[in-house]
Amino acid sequence: MFMMVLNILFAINTTILRIGRALAWIALGIMVAVILIQVFFRYVPFLDALPWPEEAARFLMLWMTGLIAPSAYRWGGFVAIDMVPQALPKAICAVLMIVLLGLSTLVLIVAVQLGWQHTMGFGGNFDSSSLRLPLDWFGGTDTKIKLRYMYGSLLFCVVMMLVINIELIIRSVFALVSPDTELPDDDSATNMVRAD
Amino acid sequence: MLVWFLPVFLILLMIGLPVFFGLLFAPGILLWLNGQERDIALLYRNVYNGMDSFPLMALPFFMLAGELMNRGGITTRLVEFSQALMGHLRGGLAHVNILSSILFAGLSGSAVADTSALGSTLIPAMERNGYSRKFAAAITAASSVIGPIIPPSGIMIIYAYVMGESVAALFLAGIVPGVMVGVGLMVMVRLLADRYDLPKAERIVQRGQTLSEGESFISFALLRINIAGLLVGLYHGVFALIGTLDAAKPEINSWWIMLFMLPVAHIIVMMVRKRVSEDFRIVCKKAVAPLQTPIIILGGILIGVFTPTEASAIAVAYALVISFFVLRSMKLSDLPSILMKSALGSSTVLLLVGAAVAFKTVVSLSHAPEQLADSILGLSSDPLILLFLINVLLFIVGMFLDAGPAIIILGPILGPIFVDLGVHPVHFAIIMSVNLTVGLATPPMGLVLFVASSVSGEKVETISKAILPFLAVEIVVIFLITYIPAISMTIPRLTGFVQ
Repeated sequence: MFMMVLNILFAINTTILRIGRALAWIALGIMVAVILIQVFFRYVPFLDALPWPEEAARFLMLWMTGLIAPSAYRWGGFVAIDMVPQALPKAICAVLMIVLLGLSTLVLIVAVQLGWQHTMGFGGNFDSSSLRLPLDWFGGTDTKIKLRYMYGSLLFCVVMMLVINIELIIRSVFALVSPDTELPDDDSATNMVRAD
Repeated sequence: MLVWFLPVFLILLMIGLPVFFGLLFAPGILLWLNGQERDIALLYRNVYNGMDSFPLMALPFFMLAGELMNRGGITTRLVEFSQALMGHLRGGLAHVNILSSILFAGLSGSAVADTSALGSTLIPAMERNGYSRKFAAAITAASSVIGPIIPPSGIMIIYAYVMGESVAALFLAGIVPGVMVGVGLMVMVRLLADRYDLPKAERIVQRGQTLSEGESFISFALLRINIAGLLVGLYHGVFALIGTLDAAKPEINSWWIMLFMLPVAHIIVMMVRKRVSEDFRIVCKKAVAPLQTPIIILGGILIGVFTPTEASAIAVAYALVISFFVLRSMKLSDLPSILMKSALGSSTVLLLVGAAVAFKTVVSLSHAPEQLADSILGLSSDPLILLFLINVLLFIVGMFLDAGPAIIILGPILGPIFVDLGVHPVHFAIIMSVNLTVGLATPPMGLVLFVASSVSGEKVETISKAILPFLAVEIVVIFLITYIPAISMTIPRLTGFVQ
């Protein structure tokens, strides 16, 4: 039963995170381009400085973080002092890990609730000051982007981290009660390290 | 009751809770126990607001620029250039290692990138030249801490943002301390060279290298512009020091001085050219284009042409141009993995900064700095003694925690206390940054020790012993920076970034 849940979570997380990583590096590339456009338009004669690049770049940075930070979390990229866990016997260390993951889950559950209110609440309904969808180019009406589309980046991040946390808890339980069980392994992290 | 969040946070950190969750859990749970549920929502919003920042964007951009430079093969050129300058000295390759770190620091703001890039090239070369592997790994790790001190610097961007300081002022304040660490390490290498009879090396690794016509012309022009710019800087510096710049300013425009200095620079280059070999010239010319990155970043910020964030994007564009069109060492298919690695590394830092901004809100609500200040002032009211004690504390923290998270946690707590005691915020930022950066190379948890170990194949314990003489030098530099504020403050003052 637990193994089935783990396999489902593993498959969902691996797929969503892979898409997230691809979108995140594209966002970073566009961020660079947007800032260069900002500098270009400011200094080239007869061109006016653009109002939107700064906010667009922030929008992209928030989504870059929201999309790729869960991958970093899943691969153990979040900074922690692991001297105490490493010094403990294996079984106690596994229990401690479950406790720590439990605390993280608590933080993430509250964060998801607050994130939902933040994104879908009153504040999220406001328009962005300079970002708009130029639908008028295609015969529609010019539409300003709602702030909730920016706020959503952190909500997506905490939701994904919560799902990953559940996967990590199940893995830790397996490590405690049945250390020899073969668990599904995401080799993307290893591949990225090898790419260096 | 709220003041208890700090000990709770430290305990959670010590038992292994990731810093991001600790920064939110400890204040959150105490706000809840205190009946301040509404402030928990504030905590979440401040994580978002903390990340939603234009100045912070410099962080992923500088990471990306460093990664592009590294993958583009610029490291090899810098090492060859350093060797041409210092290889002939006793302990030559150790000096080359340090000089390469200083030069690499201008391209990347990360000690880890420095260790892995330079270590993989220089540690095997040093072994072949007769150095022990542990010595080679130790000097690589020790010199890599220069990376985050000399601009651009990731931890200084974080500090400036979290504490509301000027990134440009911190960048400028880090130049002299970074060079001092480098020079100090070179002095130690010289002493060890006499004792252990460390070998000299060939100045030119590969003879008969050629340069394309295009790059030759670019280097020709850039070198003269750089020297002329340096002469203009010296001109202004001298007049600023003797206090007559204001009188000279209306009469002579800087661009006219630049125009005058260009032929002077050409004459200087031609004079030097006669004294050096063709191979030496080629190696130096090959380093000119890569070494423009720090000049573009600092020059652009100093002249006021662009902000640090824009400078970082320009640095990325420059790295792309160099890698694709000058060195021709990169393919389009390399870009996704480079972008992904930079995005991955910066996303964890950005989340941490967001959590730190939320944490800082609770720090202010709890009045913890005031209580901590009372306790610290109870130990002594002499700022000099307190600075000594704080350096010891930072050094210990640096042994266990990475520089970025340590700055995020301790900056909001310690910064206001020392600023109230009369320490300039920029000076304190440099003390913290340099101290915690040196912590990256201190056992038992120094991150660069682990990287040096994986690059060299030497045990961490062995490198930890071999690094001790170099750590001693770095500790001396920390205390010099602490007690002589002019070391860090002169350049920002002369350039008007600090009053």
